[in-house]
Amino acid sequence: MIKKVITLFTVATMFFSCGSGKESLNDYNDGFNRASLLQNIADNIILPSYNNLNQKLEALEVSTNNFTNFANQNNLEQLRLDWLNAYLSWQNVEMFDIGMAEEIDFRRKMNAYPCNVTRISLNISSEDYDLNSSNHYSAQGFPTLDYLLNGFTDPIQVYNGPESSKHLNYLNNLVQDMLTNTNNIINEWNSNREPFITSTENTATSSLNKLTNDFIFYYEKGFRANKIGIPAGVFSGSPLPQNIEAYYHNLNNNNTSKILALEALTAIMKFFSGIYFDNTSEGNSLKNYLNHLNALEDGDTLSNVIITTFNSAETAINDLDDNLMNQINNNNYQLLVTYDKVQAAVPLLKIDMIGSLNIDVDYIDADGD
Amino acid sequence: MTTRVKQYINSYTDSSPLAVFRIGFGLMMLFSIVRFWNKGWIEKIYIEPSFHFKYYGFEWINSIGEGVYILFILCALSACFITLGFKYRPAIITFFLSFTYIELLEKTVYLNHYYFICVLSFLLIFLPLNSSFSLDNFISKTKSISVPRWTIDSIKLMLCIVYIYAGLAKINSDWLIEALPLKIWLPSKYDIPLIGETLMQENWVHFAMSWGGMLYDLLIPFLLLYKRTRTFAFLLVVFFHVFTRVLFPIGVFPYIMIISALIFFDAQFHKWIINILKIIIDPISKKLSHINIQNVKFNSNKKIIWVLTIFFILQLTIPLRHLSYNGNIMWHEQGYRFSWRVMLMEKLGYTTFKIVDKDKNQFFYVQNEDFLTSYQEKQMSFQPDFILEYAHFLGKNFKNQGYDDIAIYADSYVSLNGRRNQRYIDPEIDLLEIKDSFENKKWILPLKK
Repeated sequence: MIKKVITLFTVATMFFSCGSGKESLNDYNDGFNRASLLQNIADNIILPSYNNLNQKLEALEVSTNNFTNFANQNNLEQLRLDWLNAYLSWQNVEMFDIGMAEEIDFRRKMNAYPCNVTRISLNISSEDYDLNSSNHYSAQGFPTLDYLLNGFTDPIQVYNGPESSKHLNYLNNLVQDMLTNTNNIINEWNSNREPFITSTENTATSSLNKLTNDFIFYYEKGFRANKIGIPAGVFSGSPLPQNIEAYYHNLNNNNTSKILALEALTAIMKFFSGIYFDNTSEGNSLKNYLNHLNALEDGDTLSNVIITTFNSAETAINDLDDNLMNQINNNNYQLLVTYDKVQAAVPLLKIDMIGSLNIDVDYIDADGD
Repeated sequence: MTTRVKQYINSYTDSSPLAVFRIGFGLMMLFSIVRFWNKGWIEKIYIEPSFHFKYYGFEWINSIGEGVYILFILCALSACFITLGFKYRPAIITFFLSFTYIELLEKTVYLNHYYFICVLSFLLIFLPLNSSFSLDNFISKTKSISVPRWTIDSIKLMLCIVYIYAGLAKINSDWLIEALPLKIWLPSKYDIPLIGETLMQENWVHFAMSWGGMLYDLLIPFLLLYKRTRTFAFLLVVFFHVFTRVLFPIGVFPYIMIISALIFFDAQFHKWIINILKIIIDPISKKLSHINIQNVKFNSNKKIIWVLTIFFILQLTIPLRHLSYNGNIMWHEQGYRFSWRVMLMEKLGYTTFKIVDKDKNQFFYVQNEDFLTSYQEKQMSFQPDFILEYAHFLGKNFKNQGYDDIAIYADSYVSLNGRRNQRYIDPEIDLLEIKDSFENKKWILPLKK
């Protein structure tokens, strides 16, 4: 009797599944090569980005040395240029908050803004500080260099005045620390590349899940909130122009914030599509993976919808005043509209992409409700 | 009719199933509490968050900070007492109260199996689980080898209610016609050895498991009740729950269901288990063997029978309350909880809040991580009562900060069972104007498609 019932169920369910299976849109056959995705991201994006940052920081180190030896206007200009180049390069690295970078809080050491001028001044005069303490995150990295290079009315006088050696010491220490951290992370990447690539399982700590979660986190916080939302006053009600990235450089009529934001968005788009850091070749990526899973969004593929949304965010940022500070002061409404365009990708990434990848967030027990 | 009821109430059976159930329940609870503590979840769930979501009607439950550890200790101790059958009645009451209080402290971690434990432990308060093979026997120097049949049957009935309502909930088009959400979940288990890359990817497996799960839930109570299919049914219970344990992060629930299902076996089987236990504890029991224990008749208490009748009427009706709301219950979730709706949906949301200062005609968005942990934010984002409760918390918070006249709007997107994300909460509705109630929540936008 029981056997008969079971056979009947089995036959019924199989019959049923054959009937409707073909019409289903989400026909998953997961044979995707996750290792090749991780390999592409590691070898063609993360490592080249880090190596590039390293190069740019080495150039910064040289110009810092030159400026230390002779603090004149020429050397200052070179130093500012190398700072900007390294800052641009940094935009390609910030989203990879993985491994040692995460352990040492690299992201916050390198780019916590606005910087804390009181803390910086105190550190310079006391010469007693621990850059590894989170209290000092806003007194180091690119934003602090921005202040040290662009924040004084007469920098040449500061770096030749009575406090010059203290200022130069601090400058040198910061650059050294950034370079050392970068080197350490590169070394760790080189030795941990293999385990990174082979960690393809679906758990909260596997490479792919971490990478994806970090990417979304970066898009939401590092990019959307920090670069656009906070300065536009999205979270405070009134605009906060002093919170833009590279604030002091902008004050001197440069367009750095916008350039950095665009560079960051390009890096985001390249990561999503698996485009190599230094050329236009394309490897396996989240885009491919979503396509492989056949994730659809109103008839279009989800990856296309995401890319279109990124593109419209890029267009909106391009249309802004080259100087974001002027934009905020003259027409902040346009910045708020731009924020909405950037924001539009967040539900797509956090709901539809995560849902399609069904990334395991192994937090606590769940019974699916 | 009444004579039949009376006859039933006065019919007796061997009490050993109750003793085995008591020991199994006590040990499972102890294990469950130790596991929860060991994983650091007490800290993470009850202490770290600055704001706690509360159940409707239980907003008065105070968060007690580190004091929650005392509740867990109480819970664990009473579980030990229950296992031993030592001061059983006070122990099970303590367990019920402390466990339920813990659950009421934070709605974010609502799980059907925690609710099951609350309900079951309430039921157990009224059942003589210490009538035999317990330390209480040595204290009172009495035991009852026979107990009324209704005592064991009410545990069986509770289990049947859970299974059958869980099965009924699976009769919906997503589950049966689309094999959702299993079609989303199973392929992502590609990393399970042997079946991950093969069976879990097969369309027919998704359908077979959807239909199989529904039929399992609906039929297993009957297969367990019927003597000739009982052993087979129990093997099925073990297989089903172990399999779900492998696939999903559902903690101790599978084990609790497996142990509980033993209650369906007859006294012979339970006596056999007790005999094994007696051999294990032989050295201790020898010391107590001089105590003379009298067998006394256990009498049914009419009041208890009335309490349990009301209890079961409630258990049968509460899961049906969703019938008074229109629309897809998985979408609006009105009447979703306390209804044995398990593993039914894959739901993801993204919800932020716009605070409008009506005086200054300014607005800003809240960064949820300022107030919520990531798990709270995740849960809040797709459940309407959470969204409303959080909006009111934000309202209070910002009024305390000096904003006098504010309105709060939700910018909310939710995806259900793989559908594209769609707007969830009416963005034109000032949530501060809404009070939570059993009234239909019209500010939830209807599910398209």
